[in-house]
Amino acid sequence: MRFATLIVIAAMAVFGGAAARGAVAAQSSPDISGFWELSFDSRRVPAASLAPGVTPTLLAKQAAHDAHAIRWCNFLGLPAAMDSTRPINIRQGRREMVINFETVATPRHLYFRASHPNMEIFDPTTNGDSIARWDGDTLVVDTIGFDGAKGVTMIPGGGYRTSDSHLVERFRLLNQGAVLSLTFTWEDAKVFRMPHTYEFRYVRAPRMYEAQPPLACNPFDEQRAAFLSGDRP
Amino acid sequence: MTTALRAIGVLLLVVATTVAAQQQSAAPMPDLEGGWVRIDVDGSGSFNGLAAKFLRAVLTPTAQAAVAEQAKRAAQPRFDFARDASKPKGAGEGYVVTDGNCTLPGGVEPNSAAFHLVQSREQVLIVRENPGLPRTIYIDGRAHPDLSRWAPTAVGHSTGRFEAGALVVETIGLTAGNVTAGGWRTPETRLTERYRVSSDGQRLTITYTWQDAKVYVKPHTYEIVSERTPPGSWAFESWCDSSDPNQRLSIVPPPQGK
Repeated sequence: MRFATLIVIAAMAVFGGAAARGAVAAQSSPDISGFWELSFDSRRVPAASLAPGVTPTLLAKQAAHDAHAIRWCNFLGLPAAMDSTRPINIRQGRREMVINFETVATPRHLYFRASHPNMEIFDPTTNGDSIARWDGDTLVVDTIGFDGAKGVTMIPGGGYRTSDSHLVERFRLLNQGAVLSLTFTWEDAKVFRMPHTYEFRYVRAPRMYEAQPPLACNPFDEQRAAFLSGDRP
Repeated sequence: MTTALRAIGVLLLVVATTVAAQQQSAAPMPDLEGGWVRIDVDGSGSFNGLAAKFLRAVLTPTAQAAVAEQAKRAAQPRFDFARDASKPKGAGEGYVVTDGNCTLPGGVEPNSAAFHLVQSREQVLIVRENPGLPRTIYIDGRAHPDLSRWAPTAVGHSTGRFEAGALVVETIGLTAGNVTAGGWRTPETRLTERYRVSSDGQRLTITYTWQDAKVYVKPHTYEIVSERTPPGSWAFESWCDSSDPNQRLSIVPPPQGK
């Protein structure tokens, strides 16, 4: 009888503890860490409604700027880095989340903070400054502090990133964590008539995926340069 | 009945032991997350002097020959590195120090830029502020790949585990080349790193131990210390543009007063 009582106590200790930990885990935020990749049907991008000031001349100038950035292997920055042909590595920590790319782009840092730094002392970057918060099961990321003169600036659906751009992203897991929905909303009064929203759906890469070195980009490869400029057939 | 109860008891004990083991492995996880900047603990005064007081590696004759060969290659004229030091550049004529390519190989050790570490459930990721490969440290129990199927890189393949409050990282698959304080490495060389955070959380000490019977007479060990970046700080972006001729230069001597 005494032995049976001990068994019951042991069972309560083991399974009760496990249940309590499970309850804590269930209440905490989702973990979107993983390698995530885009497929051919991953993009739902409506046409952007551009501001009247965005003339064909301005768009051509911006396209030339981006062509130069690609030609010289500049860091892509947002939003181009998120449209990578290789899996992106998202790692969620306690105070920040890092997104690393297997392409020519600097990592993104999404800080779990309430406010952006003072933009008077922030040096604008291709990825800007990102702060993140959980809204239920959705991670909402707010980014400002872009450098409109650096990297590839074209935004899917039309328009381009400027130093005044404001990006809000909403990350949400779908299909029991197999799919990551990411909705981008760009606001920039000089570029968009109204906020421009589009969605990418990333597929989780196999669990044992091994990170690869970024795709090489050699700005001094003359054959590559000729290909990009169309100088040779 | 008694036999059945005893069987259940044994089963529960096994489960309890397993759960306890899981709790133990999960508990002593140091808080490594954040930005870190290497500091000059020995007062060397220059970046090149940071390793001056490290114990020098004791190499096998084969490895000594490899290091000598590498030194010979490094001495070949490249940019301005091998220029005649007795003929300084004139005013306005810059010293060319790179080929302008923004792609850098990175490496396993921190350099002059801050590095940032994030801990997720299955991986520790270390990224730099300047170009270079990130460190992807798998803590999901996977093994190193067979080196016959691995293309060596400057960061190799790393797996990690938490042990006595430290993150212990094992790396193989590195490209052949120099190692700090006179060392050498090949893809087969094993690097073991121990990441330990001070009790106040402000200093990170990484102990590097290189082992390879073909390269080292005895394991080659040294430590690098870094300081946590202040709360509220953010990662910088080290911009680089290969189309900018100034990208290749270090200093440009200004006109001198007469």
